[in-house]
Amino acid sequence: MVHTAYAYLVLMSVRHGLLALLSRGPRHGYQLRVEFEASTGATWPLNIGQVYTTLSRMERDGLVKPGESDEQGRVVYTITAAGREEMARWFSTPVVQSDRPRDELVIKLAMAVAAKKVDVAEVINMQRTATMRALQQLTRAKRAATEGAVQRLVLDSMIFQAEAEQRWLDHCEAVLKEER
Amino acid sequence: MTVVRLAEVARVHGEGATAVHALKGVSLEVDAGELVAVMGPSGSGKSTLLNLAGGLDRPTSGTVHIDEQDLATVRDLAALRRRRVGYVFQDLNLITSLTAAENVMLPRELDGVRSRLAREEAMAVLAEIDGESLADRFPDELSGGQRQQVAIARALVGERRLLLADEPTGALDTRTGDEILQTLRARCDAGAAVLLITHEPRYAAWADRVVFLRDGMITDTTDTTDTSLVSAR
Repeated sequence: MVHTAYAYLVLMSVRHGLLALLSRGPRHGYQLRVEFEASTGATWPLNIGQVYTTLSRMERDGLVKPGESDEQGRVVYTITAAGREEMARWFSTPVVQSDRPRDELVIKLAMAVAAKKVDVAEVINMQRTATMRALQQLTRAKRAATEGAVQRLVLDSMIFQAEAEQRWLDHCEAVLKEER
Repeated sequence: MTVVRLAEVARVHGEGATAVHALKGVSLEVDAGELVAVMGPSGSGKSTLLNLAGGLDRPTSGTVHIDEQDLATVRDLAALRRRRVGYVFQDLNLITSLTAAENVMLPRELDGVRSRLAREEAMAVLAEIDGESLADRFPDELSGGQRQQVAIARALVGERRLLLADEPTGALDTRTGDEILQTLRARCDAGAAVLLITHEPRYAAWADRVVFLRDGMITDTTDTTDTSLVSAR
C-alpha cells in the first residue's frame, strides 16, 4: 500500500513537472526528459517510456494536445488552457504532510521498542552511522555540483531531510535512555 | 602524515567518589589534508578531546602527539601551541580594536616575527581564503561569516597546519555556515589537518570522517573509504 501511494505521488509530480516545462512552449518527449532532469539537478532520472505514458494520459485528460511530427517523426506537444489551469492549481496548493508515504525507519524503531528483546540503542547507532554516510555523500555531490544553484538546492533538500532524521535519532536515543 | 595523534587518552577530573571520567581511552588520528568531525551530546567529552588534542590540557593517561612530538615531553606547551595549533571558536574571536589583517598578524608578532613579515604572511593567508578585501576593516565592519573567515585565516597564519574548530558555525545561518565549511575544506585540501566539533549533522557531513562520542568513548565512526550508496535501510 505504501508503494502504491508513493508511485501515485511520483506520477503526479512528473505530470505537473511536464506541464510546467510545456508552459514555456511546445516540446517533444525527448526534450521534456532532458529538461526535466536538468531542472531537478539530475537527481531525478526519468525514462523516456515514463514521459510518453504520462503525456498520453495528459492528452486523455485534455491537459496537452499533440501536434505535427517533426522531420524525425517526433510528436510535439502543446499545453492546453485546462493544462495551464491544472499547473496553476498545483503551484498554488501546498504539499500536505500526510500525503507522503510513511517512513520505514519510524516503523522500525517503534517496533524495536515494542519487541522489547531488540537492542534499540544498537538500531539507532547503526542507522545514525548509515545516515551520516549518506549525508557525507550528498555533501560531496553538492561540492562537485557545477550546474548552478538549482542542482545544489535539490541536493540541499535531501541534506536537510537526512539531517532531520539524524536529529530525530539523537532525540530518540536521549529519550529512551531516560526511560530505561 | 599524521599531524595529531591521541592514543588511549583518558582524562579524569577530580578524585575518589566525585571523580568525573570525561574521556575513557580515546584513540584518534588526524592526518594532513584530513577533516575529522566529532559529534556527541553535551557532556560526551567533545571539548575535553579538543583541549587535549591542542595541548590546552594534559591527559590523565595515554599520549598525545602533535607533529610526532609527545606533548608529555614538552615543557613549554604555550609556545608549541602558538607555533603549531590554530583555534577557531564559536565567538570570542577577534580583537575589536585591530583590523582584520592585524588580528591575523597577531600570533606571528607574538612569535617574534617582525611586523612587515607578519603582515606579508597575514595577507597571504587572507588571499588563500579570498579575504584580501577585508584586510583593513575592523571586526565591527564585518558580517558574522566574514569574521569567522578572518578567524580561520588567523588560526592558519604562519606554519600552523593543525586547526581545532569548536562549533565554528555557531549561530550563523545555514548558507554562511556552508561557506565556513567550504573554507575549512579548502584549507584541508591545501594540506591542513582540521578537527571539528559540531552538533549539526549537515556540517559534520563535510568531513572525511565523522566520529561519534558518547560518555567519553568513541562509539562509531564513518569514513570515505566506504562508498556503499545512501543509507542501509
